[in-house]
Amino acid sequence: MDLFLQTLVNGLIQSGTYALASAGLALAVGVLHIVNFAHGEFLMVGAFTAYWLSVLVGVDPLLSLVPAGALLFVASGGIYRFSVRHVLLAPELNALLLTFGIAITLQNLAVLAFGATPRVVHTAYQLTSLSLGPISVGVAPLITLVVSVAVLSGMYAVLYRTGVGKSIRAVAQNRTGAYLVGLDVDRIYLLTFGLASALAAVAGAMVLVRIGASPQMGFAFVLKAFAIIVMAGLGNLTGVLWASLVLATGEAFVRTYVPGGGGWAEAVFFLLIFGTLVWRSWRQA
Amino acid sequence: MGGVRWMAPAGLAAALLVPWMPAGGYQQYVVQVATFVLINAAVALAWDIQARTGQLSLAPAAFFGLGAYAYTMAALRGVPLWLAFALGPLAAAAVSVVLGVITLRLQGLYFAIATLAFAEVVKVIFKGLPVELTGGAVGLTAPPLLGGHQTGLYYLGLAVLLVTIGASLAVRHTRLHYAFAAIRQGELTARVLGVRVVRVKLLAFVLSAFLIGLVGAYATSRLFFVIPDDTFGIGISVSALATAIFGGVYTTAGPVLGALILRTLEEGLHILLRQGYLVVYGVILMVVILYLPGGLVGLLTRRRGRDAAAGD
Repeated sequence: MDLFLQTLVNGLIQSGTYALASAGLALAVGVLHIVNFAHGEFLMVGAFTAYWLSVLVGVDPLLSLVPAGALLFVASGGIYRFSVRHVLLAPELNALLLTFGIAITLQNLAVLAFGATPRVVHTAYQLTSLSLGPISVGVAPLITLVVSVAVLSGMYAVLYRTGVGKSIRAVAQNRTGAYLVGLDVDRIYLLTFGLASALAAVAGAMVLVRIGASPQMGFAFVLKAFAIIVMAGLGNLTGVLWASLVLATGEAFVRTYVPGGGGWAEAVFFLLIFGTLVWRSWRQA
Repeated sequence: MGGVRWMAPAGLAAALLVPWMPAGGYQQYVVQVATFVLINAAVALAWDIQARTGQLSLAPAAFFGLGAYAYTMAALRGVPLWLAFALGPLAAAAVSVVLGVITLRLQGLYFAIATLAFAEVVKVIFKGLPVELTGGAVGLTAPPLLGGHQTGLYYLGLAVLLVTIGASLAVRHTRLHYAFAAIRQGELTARVLGVRVVRVKLLAFVLSAFLIGLVGAYATSRLFFVIPDDTFGIGISVSALATAIFGGVYTTAGPVLGALILRTLEEGLHILLRQGYLVVYGVILMVVILYLPGGLVGLLTRRRGRDAAAGD
Protein backbone atom coordinates (compact mmCIF):
# COMPACT_ATOMS: atom_id res chain seq x y z
CA MET A 1 0.00 0.00 0.00
CA ASP A 2 2.87 2.36 0.85
CA LEU A 3 4.51 1.62 -2.45
CA PHE A 4 1.21 2.26 -4.20
CA LEU A 5 0.80 5.65 -2.52
CA GLN A 6 4.40 6.61 -3.18
CA THR A 7 3.98 5.75 -6.85
CA LEU A 8 0.80 7.78 -7.01
CA VAL A 9 2.54 10.80 -5.47
CA ASN A 10 5.48 10.48 -7.89
CA GLY A 11 3.02 10.41 -10.77
CA LEU A 12 1.15 13.42 -9.46
CA ILE A 13 4.34 15.47 -9.22
CA GLN A 14 5.44 14.48 -12.71
CA SER A 15 2.02 15.39 -14.08
CA GLY A 16 2.61 19.02 -13.06
CA THR A 17 5.63 19.26 -15.34
CA TYR A 18 3.79 17.46 -18.15
CA ALA A 19 0.81 19.78 -17.89
CA LEU A 20 3.08 22.81 -18.01
CA ALA A 21 5.00 21.42 -20.99
CA SER A 22 1.87 20.58 -22.96
CA ALA A 23 -0.34 23.57 -22.09
CA GLY A 24 1.67 25.80 -24.42
CA LEU A 25 1.43 23.26 -27.21
CA ALA A 26 -2.33 23.00 -26.71
CA LEU A 27 -2.62 26.79 -26.72
CA ALA A 28 -0.78 27.07 -30.05
CA VAL A 29 -2.87 24.28 -31.57
CA GLY A 30 -6.11 25.75 -30.30
CA VAL A 31 -5.49 29.31 -31.44
CA LEU A 32 -3.09 29.16 -34.40
CA HIS A 33 -4.14 25.66 -35.53
CA ILE A 34 -0.54 24.56 -35.95
CA VAL A 35 1.24 21.72 -34.20
CA ASN A 36 4.55 23.14 -33.14
CA PHE A 37 7.22 20.45 -33.30
CA ALA A 38 9.74 22.93 -31.95
CA HIS A 39 7.86 23.28 -28.67
CA GLY A 40 10.16 20.75 -27.00
CA GLU A 41 13.21 22.64 -28.22
CA PHE A 42 11.77 25.85 -26.73
CA LEU A 43 11.60 23.92 -23.47
CA MET A 44 15.22 22.89 -23.94
CA VAL A 45 16.32 26.47 -24.61
CA GLY A 46 14.45 27.55 -21.47
CA ALA A 47 16.28 24.90 -19.44
CA PHE A 48 19.67 25.99 -20.77
CA THR A 49 18.88 29.66 -20.15
CA ALA A 50 18.14 28.83 -16.53
CA TYR A 51 21.26 26.67 -16.38
CA TRP A 52 23.60 29.37 -17.62
CA LEU A 53 21.98 32.03 -15.45
CA SER A 54 22.58 29.77 -12.50
CA VAL A 55 26.18 28.91 -13.41
CA LEU A 56 27.38 32.29 -14.66
CA VAL A 57 25.33 34.79 -12.65
CA GLY A 58 24.33 32.64 -9.71
CA VAL A 59 20.59 33.12 -10.11
CA ASP A 60 18.54 30.38 -8.47
CA PRO A 61 17.20 28.15 -11.28
CA LEU A 62 13.68 28.50 -9.92
CA LEU A 63 13.84 32.28 -10.15
CA SER A 64 15.25 32.21 -13.65
CA LEU A 65 11.96 30.92 -14.97
CA VAL A 66 11.08 34.61 -15.31
CA PRO A 67 14.01 35.62 -17.57
CA ALA A 68 13.82 32.29 -19.40
CA GLY A 69 10.12 32.84 -20.09
CA ALA A 70 10.76 36.42 -21.18
CA LEU A 71 13.58 35.39 -23.51
CA LEU A 72 11.47 32.72 -25.20
CA PHE A 73 8.52 35.10 -25.45
CA VAL A 74 10.64 37.55 -27.44
CA ALA A 75 12.62 34.98 -29.44
CA SER A 76 9.57 33.02 -30.50
CA GLY A 77 7.92 36.30 -31.49
CA GLY A 78 10.76 36.66 -33.96
CA ILE A 79 10.33 33.09 -35.14
CA TYR A 80 6.64 33.75 -35.66
CA ARG A 81 7.24 36.96 -37.64
CA PHE A 82 9.88 35.47 -39.93
CA SER A 83 8.62 31.95 -40.47
CA VAL A 84 5.51 30.53 -38.82
CA ARG A 85 3.32 33.41 -39.95
CA HIS A 86 4.03 32.62 -43.59
CA VAL A 87 2.74 29.07 -43.47
CA LEU A 88 -0.44 29.61 -41.45
CA LEU A 89 -2.60 29.62 -44.57
CA ALA A 90 -0.61 26.93 -46.41
CA PRO A 91 -1.55 23.23 -46.13
CA GLU A 92 -1.17 22.11 -42.52
CA LEU A 93 1.71 19.78 -43.34
CA ASN A 94 3.85 22.79 -44.32
CA ALA A 95 3.61 24.21 -40.81
CA LEU A 96 4.44 20.80 -39.44
CA LEU A 97 7.54 20.45 -41.61
CA LEU A 98 8.63 24.01 -40.93
CA THR A 99 8.47 23.61 -37.15
CA PHE A 100 10.13 20.21 -37.51
CA GLY A 101 12.98 22.01 -39.29
CA ILE A 102 13.15 24.62 -36.52
CA ALA A 103 13.27 21.83 -33.94
CA ILE A 104 16.11 19.96 -35.69
CA THR A 105 18.04 23.20 -36.11
CA LEU A 106 17.71 24.30 -32.49
CA GLN A 107 18.52 20.85 -31.14
CA ASN A 108 21.69 20.52 -33.18
CA LEU A 109 22.76 24.10 -32.53
CA ALA A 110 22.50 23.22 -28.85
CA VAL A 111 24.66 20.14 -29.42
CA LEU A 112 27.22 22.31 -31.19
CA ALA A 113 27.19 25.00 -28.52
CA PHE A 114 26.94 22.93 -25.34
CA GLY A 115 27.93 19.39 -26.31
CA ALA A 116 25.68 16.39 -25.88
CA THR A 117 26.44 15.74 -22.19
CA PRO A 118 23.59 16.50 -19.78
CA ARG A 119 24.05 19.44 -17.39
CA VAL A 120 22.78 19.58 -13.84
CA VAL A 121 22.46 22.36 -11.28
CA HIS A 122 23.11 22.01 -7.57
CA THR A 123 20.95 23.75 -4.99
CA ALA A 124 20.35 23.14 -1.32
CA TYR A 125 16.70 22.20 -1.72
CA GLN A 126 17.44 19.43 -4.23
CA LEU A 127 18.97 17.35 -1.45
CA THR A 128 16.24 17.71 1.17
CA SER A 129 13.00 15.81 1.24
CA LEU A 130 9.86 15.79 3.34
CA SER A 131 8.46 12.66 4.92
CA LEU A 132 4.76 12.19 5.32
CA GLY A 133 4.36 8.91 7.13
CA PRO A 134 5.79 6.24 4.84
CA ILE A 135 5.86 8.56 1.82
CA SER A 136 8.80 10.82 1.09
CA VAL A 137 8.79 13.69 -1.36
CA GLY A 138 11.79 15.70 -2.48
CA VAL A 139 11.50 19.42 -1.82
CA ALA A 140 12.60 20.32 -5.35
CA PRO A 141 9.92 18.21 -7.09
CA LEU A 142 7.34 19.61 -4.68
CA ILE A 143 8.35 23.17 -5.52
CA THR A 144 8.12 22.44 -9.25
CA LEU A 145 4.59 21.09 -8.72
CA VAL A 146 3.61 24.25 -6.85
CA VAL A 147 5.15 26.46 -9.55
CA SER A 148 3.38 24.48 -12.28
CA VAL A 149 0.02 24.86 -10.57
CA ALA A 150 0.64 28.58 -10.04
CA VAL A 151 1.72 29.24 -13.63
CA LEU A 152 -1.14 27.22 -15.09
CA SER A 153 -3.63 29.03 -12.83
CA GLY A 154 -2.13 32.28 -14.06
CA MET A 155 -2.64 31.18 -17.65
CA TYR A 156 -6.28 30.29 -17.04
CA ALA A 157 -6.79 33.60 -15.25
CA VAL A 158 -5.39 35.48 -18.23
CA LEU A 159 -7.50 33.49 -20.69
CA TYR A 160 -10.79 33.68 -18.81
CA ARG A 161 -10.57 36.87 -16.74
CA THR A 162 -8.89 39.46 -18.96
CA GLY A 163 -9.70 41.29 -22.17
CA VAL A 164 -6.64 39.87 -23.91
CA GLY A 165 -7.72 36.39 -22.92
CA LYS A 166 -11.15 37.05 -24.36
CA SER A 167 -9.56 38.16 -27.64
CA ILE A 168 -7.42 35.03 -27.76
CA ARG A 169 -10.45 32.84 -27.17
CA ALA A 170 -12.40 34.72 -29.82
CA VAL A 171 -9.67 34.16 -32.42
CA ALA A 172 -9.47 30.50 -31.45
CA GLN A 173 -13.19 30.13 -31.93
CA ASN A 174 -13.48 31.89 -35.25
CA ARG A 175 -10.66 33.68 -36.95
CA THR A 176 -12.82 35.48 -39.50
CA GLY A 177 -15.43 36.45 -36.95
CA ALA A 178 -12.75 37.90 -34.67
CA TYR A 179 -11.32 39.83 -37.60
CA LEU A 180 -14.76 41.21 -38.49
CA VAL A 181 -15.35 42.57 -34.99
CA GLY A 182 -12.07 44.47 -35.26
CA LEU A 183 -9.51 42.24 -33.56
CA ASP A 184 -5.96 42.32 -34.90
CA VAL A 185 -5.72 38.58 -35.57
CA ASP A 186 -2.05 38.63 -36.53
CA ARG A 187 -1.18 40.36 -33.25
CA ILE A 188 -3.17 37.85 -31.25
CA TYR A 189 -1.36 35.04 -33.04
CA LEU A 190 2.00 36.62 -32.24
CA LEU A 191 1.03 37.05 -28.61
CA THR A 192 -0.32 33.51 -28.28
CA PHE A 193 2.72 31.95 -29.91
CA GLY A 194 4.95 33.95 -27.55
CA LEU A 195 2.93 32.94 -24.50
CA ALA A 196 2.95 29.28 -25.52
CA SER A 197 6.72 29.35 -25.92
CA ALA A 198 7.18 31.14 -22.61
CA LEU A 199 5.22 28.33 -20.95
CA ALA A 200 7.62 25.85 -22.54
CA ALA A 201 10.58 27.80 -21.16
CA VAL A 202 9.12 27.77 -17.64
CA ALA A 203 8.60 24.02 -17.95
CA GLY A 204 12.23 23.77 -19.07
CA ALA A 205 13.45 25.52 -15.93
CA MET A 206 11.38 23.08 -13.84
CA VAL A 207 12.89 20.08 -15.64
CA LEU A 208 16.36 21.53 -15.08
CA VAL A 209 15.77 21.63 -11.32
CA ARG A 210 14.40 18.09 -11.19
CA ILE A 211 16.56 16.28 -13.75
CA GLY A 212 18.93 18.49 -15.70
CA ALA A 213 19.34 19.92 -19.19
CA SER A 214 20.52 18.28 -22.40
CA PRO A 215 20.11 19.18 -26.08
CA GLN A 216 17.93 16.11 -26.68
CA MET A 217 15.54 16.67 -23.77
CA GLY A 218 13.04 18.53 -25.91
CA PHE A 219 12.26 15.62 -28.18
CA ALA A 220 11.19 13.32 -25.34
CA PHE A 221 8.96 16.03 -23.93
CA VAL A 222 7.35 16.99 -27.21
CA LEU A 223 6.39 13.36 -27.86
CA LYS A 224 4.76 13.15 -24.47
CA ALA A 225 3.11 16.51 -24.96
CA PHE A 226 1.70 15.18 -28.24
CA ALA A 227 0.27 12.21 -26.39
CA ILE A 228 -1.31 14.57 -23.89
CA ILE A 229 -2.89 16.97 -26.37
CA VAL A 230 -4.09 14.11 -28.54
CA MET A 231 -5.77 12.52 -25.52
CA ALA A 232 -7.22 15.84 -24.47
CA GLY A 233 -8.44 16.61 -27.98
CA LEU A 234 -6.38 19.07 -30.03
CA GLY A 235 -6.54 22.52 -28.48
CA ASN A 236 -8.52 21.51 -25.41
CA LEU A 237 -6.78 23.28 -22.51
CA THR A 238 -8.73 21.74 -19.66
CA GLY A 239 -8.29 18.26 -21.06
CA VAL A 240 -4.53 18.76 -20.84
CA LEU A 241 -4.73 18.60 -17.04
CA TRP A 242 -6.33 15.18 -16.71
CA ALA A 243 -4.43 13.80 -19.69
CA SER A 244 -1.15 14.79 -18.00
CA LEU A 245 -2.30 13.02 -14.89
CA VAL A 246 -3.13 9.85 -16.83
CA LEU A 247 0.23 9.81 -18.62
CA ALA A 248 2.34 10.63 -15.56
CA THR A 249 0.68 8.17 -13.18
CA GLY A 250 0.65 5.53 -15.93
CA GLU A 251 4.40 5.93 -16.34
CA ALA A 252 4.98 5.90 -12.59
CA PHE A 253 3.05 2.65 -12.15
CA VAL A 254 4.83 0.95 -15.04
CA ARG A 255 8.15 2.04 -13.56
CA THR A 256 7.28 0.64 -10.14
CA TYR A 257 5.39 -2.53 -10.94
CA VAL A 258 6.69 -3.84 -14.28
CA PRO A 259 9.98 -5.75 -14.05
CA GLY A 260 12.67 -3.73 -15.79
CA GLY A 261 10.01 -1.01 -16.04
CA GLY A 262 12.39 1.96 -16.36
CA GLY A 263 12.64 1.43 -20.10
CA TRP A 264 9.04 0.37 -20.68
CA ALA A 265 7.72 3.51 -19.01
CA GLU A 266 8.95 5.32 -22.12
CA ALA A 267 6.39 3.36 -24.17
CA VAL A 268 3.32 4.43 -22.16
CA PHE A 269 2.87 7.64 -24.13
CA PHE A 270 2.72 5.62 -27.33
CA LEU A 271 -0.01 3.33 -26.04
CA LEU A 272 -2.03 6.38 -25.04
CA ILE A 273 -1.59 8.11 -28.43
CA PHE A 274 -2.45 4.95 -30.28
CA GLY A 275 -5.31 3.98 -28.05
CA THR A 276 -6.89 7.42 -28.38
CA LEU A 277 -6.38 7.77 -32.12
CA VAL A 278 -7.61 4.31 -32.95
CA TRP A 279 -10.62 4.67 -30.70
CA ARG A 280 -11.50 8.03 -32.29
CA SER A 281 -10.98 7.00 -35.89
CA TRP A 282 -12.97 3.78 -35.60
CA ARG A 283 -15.76 5.50 -33.70
CA GLN A 284 -16.07 8.01 -36.53
CA ALA A 285 -15.80 5.45 -39.31
CA MET B 1 11.51 17.19 -69.38
CA GLY B 2 14.01 17.15 -72.22
CA GLY B 3 17.03 17.48 -69.98
CA VAL B 4 16.22 14.35 -68.05
CA ARG B 5 16.42 12.25 -71.18
CA TRP B 6 20.20 12.51 -71.24
CA MET B 7 20.67 13.21 -67.51
CA ALA B 8 19.40 9.79 -66.44
CA PRO B 9 21.79 7.70 -68.57
CA ALA B 10 24.64 10.08 -67.77
CA GLY B 11 23.93 9.77 -64.07
CA LEU B 12 23.78 6.00 -64.28
CA ALA B 13 27.06 5.87 -66.21
CA ALA B 14 28.71 8.10 -63.63
CA ALA B 15 27.35 5.93 -60.80
CA LEU B 16 28.68 2.77 -62.48
CA LEU B 17 32.12 4.33 -62.88
CA VAL B 18 32.55 5.60 -59.30
CA PRO B 19 34.69 2.66 -58.07
CA TRP B 20 36.97 3.06 -61.09
CA MET B 21 37.53 6.78 -60.77
CA PRO B 22 41.15 7.75 -60.16
CA ALA B 23 41.05 9.28 -56.69
CA GLY B 24 44.53 8.41 -55.48
CA GLY B 25 44.63 7.37 -51.86
CA TYR B 26 41.05 8.50 -51.34
CA GLN B 27 39.58 5.76 -53.53
CA GLN B 28 38.04 3.84 -50.61
CA TYR B 29 36.66 6.98 -49.05
CA VAL B 30 35.01 8.09 -52.29
CA VAL B 31 33.28 4.73 -52.71
CA GLN B 32 32.15 4.85 -49.09
CA VAL B 33 30.61 8.32 -49.47
CA ALA B 34 29.02 7.26 -52.77
CA THR B 35 27.48 4.26 -50.98
CA PHE B 36 25.98 6.55 -48.35
CA VAL B 37 24.58 8.73 -51.13
CA LEU B 38 22.88 5.65 -52.61
CA ILE B 39 21.42 4.73 -49.21
CA ASN B 40 20.09 8.23 -48.54
CA ALA B 41 18.70 8.56 -52.05
CA ALA B 42 16.84 5.26 -51.81
CA VAL B 43 15.29 6.03 -48.39
CA ALA B 44 14.31 9.55 -49.50
CA LEU B 45 12.76 8.31 -52.75
CA ALA B 46 10.89 5.52 -50.95
CA TRP B 47 9.56 8.07 -48.47
CA ASP B 48 8.52 10.30 -51.36
CA ILE B 49 6.51 7.52 -53.06
CA GLN B 50 4.35 7.35 -49.95
CA ALA B 51 4.23 11.13 -49.54
CA ARG B 52 2.57 11.37 -52.96
CA THR B 53 -0.67 10.28 -51.31
CA GLY B 54 -0.47 13.39 -49.14
CA GLN B 55 0.31 11.50 -45.94
CA LEU B 56 3.31 12.71 -44.00
CA SER B 57 4.96 9.66 -42.46
CA LEU B 58 7.56 10.21 -39.77
CA ALA B 59 8.26 6.49 -39.48
CA PRO B 60 10.98 5.81 -42.10
CA ALA B 61 13.44 5.16 -39.27
CA ALA B 62 11.18 2.40 -37.94
CA PHE B 63 11.05 0.53 -41.25
CA PHE B 64 14.75 1.08 -41.86
CA GLY B 65 15.50 -0.37 -38.43
CA LEU B 66 13.10 -3.28 -38.85
CA GLY B 67 14.76 -4.22 -42.15
CA ALA B 68 18.17 -3.93 -40.54
CA TYR B 69 17.28 -5.98 -37.46
CA ALA B 70 15.41 -8.64 -39.43
CA TYR B 71 18.47 -9.17 -41.60
CA THR B 72 20.89 -9.20 -38.67
CA MET B 73 18.84 -11.40 -36.35
CA ALA B 74 18.08 -13.94 -39.08
CA ALA B 75 21.67 -14.02 -40.33
CA LEU B 76 23.02 -14.53 -36.80
CA ARG B 77 20.69 -17.52 -36.38
CA GLY B 78 22.20 -19.27 -39.38
CA VAL B 79 19.66 -18.29 -42.04
CA PRO B 80 21.45 -18.10 -45.42
CA LEU B 81 22.57 -14.50 -45.92
CA TRP B 82 20.58 -13.77 -49.08
CA LEU B 83 17.43 -15.20 -47.53
CA ALA B 84 18.05 -13.02 -44.45
CA PHE B 85 18.52 -10.09 -46.81
CA ALA B 86 15.09 -10.79 -48.31
CA LEU B 87 13.55 -11.05 -44.85
CA GLY B 88 14.47 -7.42 -44.12
CA PRO B 89 12.03 -5.75 -46.52
CA LEU B 90 9.40 -8.43 -45.85
CA ALA B 91 9.48 -7.78 -42.10
CA ALA B 92 9.19 -4.02 -42.65
CA ALA B 93 6.30 -4.50 -45.08
CA ALA B 94 4.47 -6.88 -42.74
CA VAL B 95 4.64 -4.41 -39.85
CA SER B 96 3.60 -1.55 -42.14
CA VAL B 97 0.42 -3.43 -43.11
CA VAL B 98 -0.63 -3.56 -39.46
CA LEU B 99 0.39 0.04 -38.76
CA GLY B 100 -1.24 1.26 -41.97
CA VAL B 101 -4.56 -0.47 -41.34
CA ILE B 102 -4.71 1.19 -37.93
CA THR B 103 -3.47 4.68 -38.82
CA LEU B 104 -4.32 5.43 -42.43
CA ARG B 105 -7.85 6.46 -41.54
CA LEU B 106 -6.35 9.32 -39.55
CA GLN B 107 -6.14 12.79 -40.99
CA GLY B 108 -2.77 14.37 -41.83
CA LEU B 109 -1.69 15.77 -38.50
CA TYR B 110 -2.77 12.80 -36.43
CA PHE B 111 -1.13 10.43 -38.90
CA ALA B 112 2.18 12.29 -38.62
CA ILE B 113 2.07 12.17 -34.82
CA ALA B 114 1.07 8.51 -34.76
CA THR B 115 3.90 7.46 -37.08
CA LEU B 116 6.45 9.48 -35.09
CA ALA B 117 5.27 7.87 -31.87
CA PHE B 118 5.44 4.46 -33.53
CA ALA B 119 9.03 5.01 -34.68
CA GLU B 120 10.00 6.02 -31.17
CA VAL B 121 8.33 3.09 -29.49
CA VAL B 122 9.85 0.49 -31.83
CA LYS B 123 13.21 1.78 -30.67
CA VAL B 124 12.15 1.42 -27.03
CA ILE B 125 10.97 -2.14 -27.70
CA PHE B 126 14.19 -3.24 -29.38
CA LYS B 127 16.16 -1.72 -26.52
CA GLY B 128 13.99 -3.40 -23.92
CA LEU B 129 13.77 -6.93 -25.35
CA PRO B 130 16.09 -9.57 -23.83
CA VAL B 131 19.73 -9.06 -24.76
CA GLU B 132 20.01 -12.57 -26.29
CA LEU B 133 17.32 -11.56 -28.78
CA THR B 134 18.13 -8.02 -29.94
CA GLY B 135 21.36 -7.19 -28.17
CA GLY B 136 19.59 -4.54 -26.05
CA ALA B 137 20.92 -0.99 -26.10
CA VAL B 138 24.32 -2.16 -27.39
CA GLY B 139 22.90 -3.78 -30.53
CA LEU B 140 24.36 -6.57 -32.62
CA THR B 141 27.20 -7.17 -35.03
CA ALA B 142 25.88 -7.98 -38.48
CA PRO B 143 27.49 -10.42 -40.91
CA PRO B 144 28.47 -8.66 -44.16
CA LEU B 145 27.09 -9.64 -47.54
CA LEU B 146 29.48 -10.51 -50.38
CA GLY B 147 32.18 -11.13 -47.80
CA GLY B 148 32.28 -7.37 -47.15
CA HIS B 149 33.77 -6.65 -50.57
CA GLN B 150 33.51 -2.87 -50.86
CA THR B 151 33.09 -2.50 -54.61
CA GLY B 152 30.64 -5.38 -54.75
CA LEU B 153 28.59 -3.83 -51.97
CA TYR B 154 28.62 -0.50 -53.77
CA TYR B 155 27.05 -2.12 -56.82
CA LEU B 156 24.53 -3.91 -54.63
CA GLY B 157 23.59 -0.49 -53.21
CA LEU B 158 23.23 0.84 -56.72
CA ALA B 159 20.92 -2.09 -57.49
CA VAL B 160 18.82 -1.27 -54.42
CA LEU B 161 18.51 2.34 -55.57
CA LEU B 162 17.60 1.22 -59.10
CA VAL B 163 14.85 -1.02 -57.70
CA THR B 164 13.50 1.99 -55.79
CA ILE B 165 13.71 4.19 -58.88
CA GLY B 166 11.92 1.46 -60.83
CA ALA B 167 9.12 1.40 -58.26
CA SER B 168 8.86 5.19 -58.36
CA LEU B 169 8.67 5.24 -62.17
CA ALA B 170 6.13 2.42 -62.14
CA VAL B 171 3.91 4.48 -59.86
CA ARG B 172 4.50 7.57 -61.97
CA HIS B 173 3.53 5.98 -65.27
CA THR B 174 0.50 3.94 -64.30
CA ARG B 175 -3.02 4.84 -63.20
CA LEU B 176 -1.72 4.80 -59.63
CA HIS B 177 -0.17 8.19 -60.32
CA TYR B 178 -3.60 9.74 -60.77
CA ALA B 179 -5.00 7.93 -57.75
CA PHE B 180 -2.13 9.19 -55.55
CA ALA B 181 -2.44 12.75 -56.84
CA ALA B 182 -6.23 12.74 -56.43
CA ILE B 183 -5.97 11.58 -52.81
CA ARG B 184 -3.33 14.19 -52.10
CA GLN B 185 -5.49 16.98 -53.44
CA GLY B 186 -8.61 15.92 -51.57
CA GLU B 187 -9.72 12.59 -50.23
CA LEU B 188 -13.39 13.30 -50.64
CA THR B 189 -12.98 14.24 -54.30
CA ALA B 190 -10.84 11.17 -54.87
CA ARG B 191 -13.52 8.98 -53.36
CA VAL B 192 -16.15 10.54 -55.59
CA LEU B 193 -13.91 9.86 -58.59
CA GLY B 194 -13.95 6.19 -57.66
CA VAL B 195 -10.55 5.89 -55.97
CA ARG B 196 -10.54 3.38 -53.12
CA VAL B 197 -8.79 5.82 -50.84
CA VAL B 198 -7.76 3.70 -47.86
CA ARG B 199 -6.67 0.81 -50.06
CA VAL B 200 -4.49 3.00 -52.30
CA LYS B 201 -2.99 4.76 -49.28
CA LEU B 202 -2.19 1.39 -47.76
CA LEU B 203 -0.57 0.23 -50.99
CA ALA B 204 1.67 3.31 -51.04
CA PHE B 205 2.51 2.90 -47.36
CA VAL B 206 3.44 -0.78 -47.66
CA LEU B 207 5.41 -0.31 -50.88
CA SER B 208 7.36 2.50 -49.24
CA ALA B 209 8.00 0.45 -46.08
CA PHE B 210 9.14 -2.53 -48.15
CA LEU B 211 11.68 -0.40 -50.02
CA ILE B 212 12.91 1.34 -46.86
CA GLY B 213 13.26 -2.07 -45.18
CA LEU B 214 15.30 -3.22 -48.17
CA VAL B 215 17.62 -0.25 -47.77
CA GLY B 216 17.84 -0.94 -44.03
CA ALA B 217 18.92 -4.54 -44.63
CA TYR B 218 21.39 -3.41 -47.26
CA ALA B 219 22.86 -0.62 -45.12
CA THR B 220 23.39 -3.09 -42.28
CA SER B 221 25.17 -5.58 -44.51
CA ARG B 222 27.44 -2.66 -45.40
CA LEU B 223 27.89 -1.12 -41.93
CA PHE B 224 28.21 -4.46 -40.08
CA PHE B 225 26.21 -3.47 -36.96
CA VAL B 226 22.82 -2.41 -35.60
CA ILE B 227 22.34 -0.12 -32.58
CA PRO B 228 18.81 0.94 -31.53
CA ASP B 229 19.70 4.62 -31.09
CA ASP B 230 21.25 4.88 -34.57
CA THR B 231 19.41 2.24 -36.58
CA PHE B 232 16.01 3.49 -35.38
CA GLY B 233 17.31 7.05 -34.93
CA ILE B 234 15.16 10.05 -35.79
CA GLY B 235 18.08 11.19 -37.96
CA ILE B 236 17.09 8.66 -40.61
CA SER B 237 13.58 10.07 -40.88
CA VAL B 238 14.87 13.64 -40.80
CA SER B 239 17.36 13.13 -43.60
CA ALA B 240 14.79 11.18 -45.67
CA LEU B 241 12.17 13.88 -45.68
CA ALA B 242 14.58 16.81 -45.80
CA THR B 243 16.36 15.20 -48.77
CA ALA B 244 13.12 14.61 -50.67
CA ILE B 245 11.76 18.07 -49.92
CA PHE B 246 15.04 19.74 -50.84
CA GLY B 247 15.34 17.85 -54.10
CA GLY B 248 11.69 18.21 -55.01
CA VAL B 249 8.77 16.18 -53.71
CA TYR B 250 6.56 13.97 -55.89
CA THR B 251 9.36 13.42 -58.43
CA THR B 252 11.82 10.60 -59.04
CA ALA B 253 14.79 12.83 -59.83
CA GLY B 254 14.30 15.15 -56.83
CA PRO B 255 15.17 12.83 -53.92
CA VAL B 256 18.13 11.33 -55.84
CA LEU B 257 19.50 14.76 -56.69
CA GLY B 258 18.83 15.93 -53.12
CA ALA B 259 20.74 12.99 -51.67
CA LEU B 260 23.71 13.58 -53.94
CA ILE B 261 24.06 17.16 -52.78
CA LEU B 262 23.01 16.86 -49.13
CA ARG B 263 24.90 13.70 -48.29
CA THR B 264 28.10 15.06 -49.81
CA LEU B 265 27.57 18.27 -47.86
CA GLU B 266 26.89 16.27 -44.69
CA GLU B 267 30.09 14.31 -45.22
CA GLY B 268 32.04 17.55 -45.43
CA LEU B 269 30.39 18.90 -42.30
CA HIS B 270 30.99 15.59 -40.58
CA ILE B 271 34.72 16.15 -40.92
CA LEU B 272 34.40 19.64 -39.42
CA LEU B 273 31.87 18.80 -36.70
CA ARG B 274 31.78 15.50 -34.93
CA GLN B 275 28.18 15.89 -33.89
CA GLY B 276 25.36 18.28 -34.62
CA TYR B 277 25.82 18.17 -38.39
CA LEU B 278 22.09 17.40 -38.70
CA VAL B 279 21.69 21.15 -38.30
CA VAL B 280 22.08 21.44 -42.05
CA TYR B 281 18.95 19.32 -42.59
CA GLY B 282 16.97 21.51 -40.19
CA VAL B 283 17.99 24.72 -41.92
CA ILE B 284 17.31 23.27 -45.35
CA LEU B 285 13.84 22.12 -44.31
CA MET B 286 13.00 25.62 -43.09
CA VAL B 287 14.40 27.41 -46.11
CA VAL B 288 12.79 25.11 -48.67
CA ILE B 289 9.37 25.20 -47.00
CA LEU B 290 9.48 28.99 -46.84
CA TYR B 291 11.12 29.96 -50.12
CA LEU B 292 11.41 27.00 -52.49
CA PRO B 293 8.18 25.01 -52.54
CA GLY B 294 9.12 22.78 -55.50
CA GLY B 295 12.63 22.04 -54.28
CA LEU B 296 15.55 21.85 -56.69
CA VAL B 297 13.58 20.11 -59.42
CA GLY B 298 10.89 22.77 -59.14
CA LEU B 299 13.57 25.43 -59.50
CA LEU B 300 15.14 23.77 -62.55
CA THR B 301 11.88 23.19 -64.37
CA ARG B 302 10.74 26.74 -63.66
CA ARG B 303 14.00 28.00 -65.16
CA ARG B 304 13.08 26.29 -68.38
CA GLY B 305 9.90 28.29 -68.50
CA ARG B 306 7.60 25.47 -67.51
CA ASP B 307 5.19 25.33 -64.63
CA ALA B 308 6.58 23.74 -61.54
CA ALA B 309 4.24 20.81 -61.99
CA ALA B 310 6.81 18.11 -62.51
CA GLY B 311 4.86 15.72 -60.35
CA ASP B 312 1.32 16.45 -61.36
